[in-house]
Amino acid sequence: MKAIEVNALSFTYKGGNKKALDRIEFEQEQGEMVVLMGHTGAGKSSFSRCLNRLIPNFHQGNYSGEIRILGKSITGKKVHELVGEIGLVFQDFESQLFSTNVELEVAFGPENLCLSREEIKKRIDEALQLVRLKGFERREPATLSGGEKQRLAIASILAIRPKIVVMDEPTTDLDPQGKLEIFSVARLLRSEGYTILFIEHEAEAVTEADKVVIMDKGRIVAEGKSYEILKDVQLLENHGIRPPQIAKLFEGIDEPTVPLTLEETFTIFEKRGWKISDEKYGALLEKEEDKKVGYGKKIIEVNDLDYVYPGNIKALDSVNMEVREGEFLAIIGQNGSGKTTLVKHFNGLLKPAKGEVRIAGEDTKGKRVSELGKIVGYVFQNPDHQIFADTVEDEVTFGPRNLGIPRDKISRFVEDALKDVGLEGYERYDPFSLTKGERQRVAIASILAARPHILILDEPTTGLDYIEQKSIMDLLQNLNQKGHTIIIITHSLWVVAEYAKRVLVLDKGKIILDDEIRKVFFQEEKLTNSFLRLPEIIRLSNRLGKTLLSVDEFKFCLKR
Amino acid sequence: MLHHLHPVTKIAGLVLLFIWAMVFNHPLYLSIIFLMVLFLSILAKSLSNLKKFSIILVILAFFSTLLWSLFLRGPTQLLKLSFIQISKESLLYGLAMGIRIDAMILSGIIFLSSTRTEDFTRGLNYLGLPFPVSFALSLSFRLVPTFAATSSTIVQAQKSRGLDLESGRLSKRIKKHIPLIIPILIHAIRNTDLLAMALESKGFGFKKEKTHYLNFRFIWKDWLSLAILAGLVVLSFYIRLNGYGVIFHRI
Repeated sequence: MKAIEVNALSFTYKGGNKKALDRIEFEQEQGEMVVLMGHTGAGKSSFSRCLNRLIPNFHQGNYSGEIRILGKSITGKKVHELVGEIGLVFQDFESQLFSTNVELEVAFGPENLCLSREEIKKRIDEALQLVRLKGFERREPATLSGGEKQRLAIASILAIRPKIVVMDEPTTDLDPQGKLEIFSVARLLRSEGYTILFIEHEAEAVTEADKVVIMDKGRIVAEGKSYEILKDVQLLENHGIRPPQIAKLFEGIDEPTVPLTLEETFTIFEKRGWKISDEKYGALLEKEEDKKVGYGKKIIEVNDLDYVYPGNIKALDSVNMEVREGEFLAIIGQNGSGKTTLVKHFNGLLKPAKGEVRIAGEDTKGKRVSELGKIVGYVFQNPDHQIFADTVEDEVTFGPRNLGIPRDKISRFVEDALKDVGLEGYERYDPFSLTKGERQRVAIASILAARPHILILDEPTTGLDYIEQKSIMDLLQNLNQKGHTIIIITHSLWVVAEYAKRVLVLDKGKIILDDEIRKVFFQEEKLTNSFLRLPEIIRLSNRLGKTLLSVDEFKFCLKR
Repeated sequence: MLHHLHPVTKIAGLVLLFIWAMVFNHPLYLSIIFLMVLFLSILAKSLSNLKKFSIILVILAFFSTLLWSLFLRGPTQLLKLSFIQISKESLLYGLAMGIRIDAMILSGIIFLSSTRTEDFTRGLNYLGLPFPVSFALSLSFRLVPTFAATSSTIVQAQKSRGLDLESGRLSKRIKKHIPLIIPILIHAIRNTDLLAMALESKGFGFKKEKTHYLNFRFIWKDWLSLAILAGLVVLSFYIRLNGYGVIFHRI
């Protein structure tokens, strides 16, 4: 008996004009772990919601085809009738949790099943054990870290004891540490015999799956052993998925077994006697030195900055730093390390508790956000926290108008900003009808249109797929070349390695490293201690004694 | 100490405290009640919460005294300045009303800080309210801090785009809130939608009935607490009916 069987499943959302799912055929054995990948809008979430009947019961539309769960057809069933068979964990953990303590959160499912109090207690213990949250029973969910919250959301499903657990991008909103926690929970569940369907868009995370399935435009376009799929760089890139760096490194190299882990790769390197060429590495550094533009004058100066949140929580602890005109700076660090708190000082949203912040030579004390906004543009993480207008043009006009830019200039500024972000011709569109990546561009354009010299972006790539991430980062690189000073906060270290020029590492409100990317990323141990895990290609090169930031650099320097 | 009481005791206790505060309208008698409530808040360890509200309590008491003094007329005149008249009775009555409001607010603070949302809804179940209704109520409590946090992010995001909420005439200022209201509403709708899906996926509505992990037993402490409170209320009524603790008889 198969865990999941799907025959000719198609679905079009009510009011939608194209099929979200198009004649899907899918099978999963019991006890298997399958990873479903694909770019944004490929139909992954829609598919997962069909499995527990949220589609078509909750989201209505045109539904056809049949799904059998553990041998039984689910046609006509209600969502709650399937909870014993299949449990669904959502990406957005914040809105799944609603209790005042961990224990009660987990109790909710079993209560609905009318289990006895003793049985509920047993199941809470068991579920918390599985996600390693024992001892957290009395904690308030709001006080947990992102990874802990998502583990709690998983536990609240496990307590119902479904045989199949479906996780819909559970790691997308998490920092690197949180992502690792979720992967380790998934591994543990698999070893406990659960059938797992894991939806994910990062390839590196899923090397352990039994099977990988790729979706694109509502269809399943490829499936196979995870090893086979993950090393097929062309296939992944064609469907908008970032291939594992190591697979990409071996592309075009005639090697019988393409490794997927760092250990395997290192063994091959030793066996074959491959090295990083000193000569080429030297040439690389030299070229970099030549390209180095002299940065302009100091535009941000931070002296002995302390910031304390209510309740005496010290978020920043004697921070000293400066940024020069034309820099591309990345700020990294675990959640809660003070990254956002620091950059909020640059446009005056926060004022120093101690010390000073100077923007273009002037102290921010006594300056309004709207005054600083002319120099410092701040794009918040979630574009939906700022979009409100009926058309893209109105949305983008809002900033410059507020900031008192003369009327005759505004329309030209808006036009230029839309051109810069690649949204020419979208002026009349309703911003809410755009994709997340496009909404992110609208948000950037709306800041850009006021022509601030400095652009700050808080996690500009979070929640975007590979293609969108790359195009946003290319856009920022372009703006940087045009002269803007760019500051990004990010968890995505490959983005830092491939795009930024300088990186600043925060840990518990203190700057622990602040230098050029290559120099900082050579100090791998220090980064690991701050729970920052470097991309594989950098770790591989560090082990070989040099620091190479991208697959291209590695290929250039590889001596074999 | 109060935290462990049965939720029904807490709800009934709150109602009794409200009634108690309504019995008298003399500041001296109400002060005694206020002190008793203050004593309860020490028992409930909710003094830290009280501190946050202390300024509001003082302001309320002050304005109540001032307004009642100005608008009520009593026999013993203290002050007369053209149309402004203050009598001894109206002053005392105003003071009493201030203390009454403060005692009620304080009772509310004790209740909120000693009762979790789940306990409160469970209490309402015991009193006969169907689970879906009480659950919806508790969800709305739960969502307040979430929406507050999101709203604060949205305000900061729009401020960063130069939105200035502090200046301009009222009509203009109201219009300025549109860039805040729309993202907040959209967030709320989306959030509620996701929550509804999550609830369904956890078997909400699986059966008409459900079991409760939280179980309370009504024990001697609960009987005792309610008996003491009820006794005090009855005693107070008796005193009031005998004509004590009153400034104005008709009110």
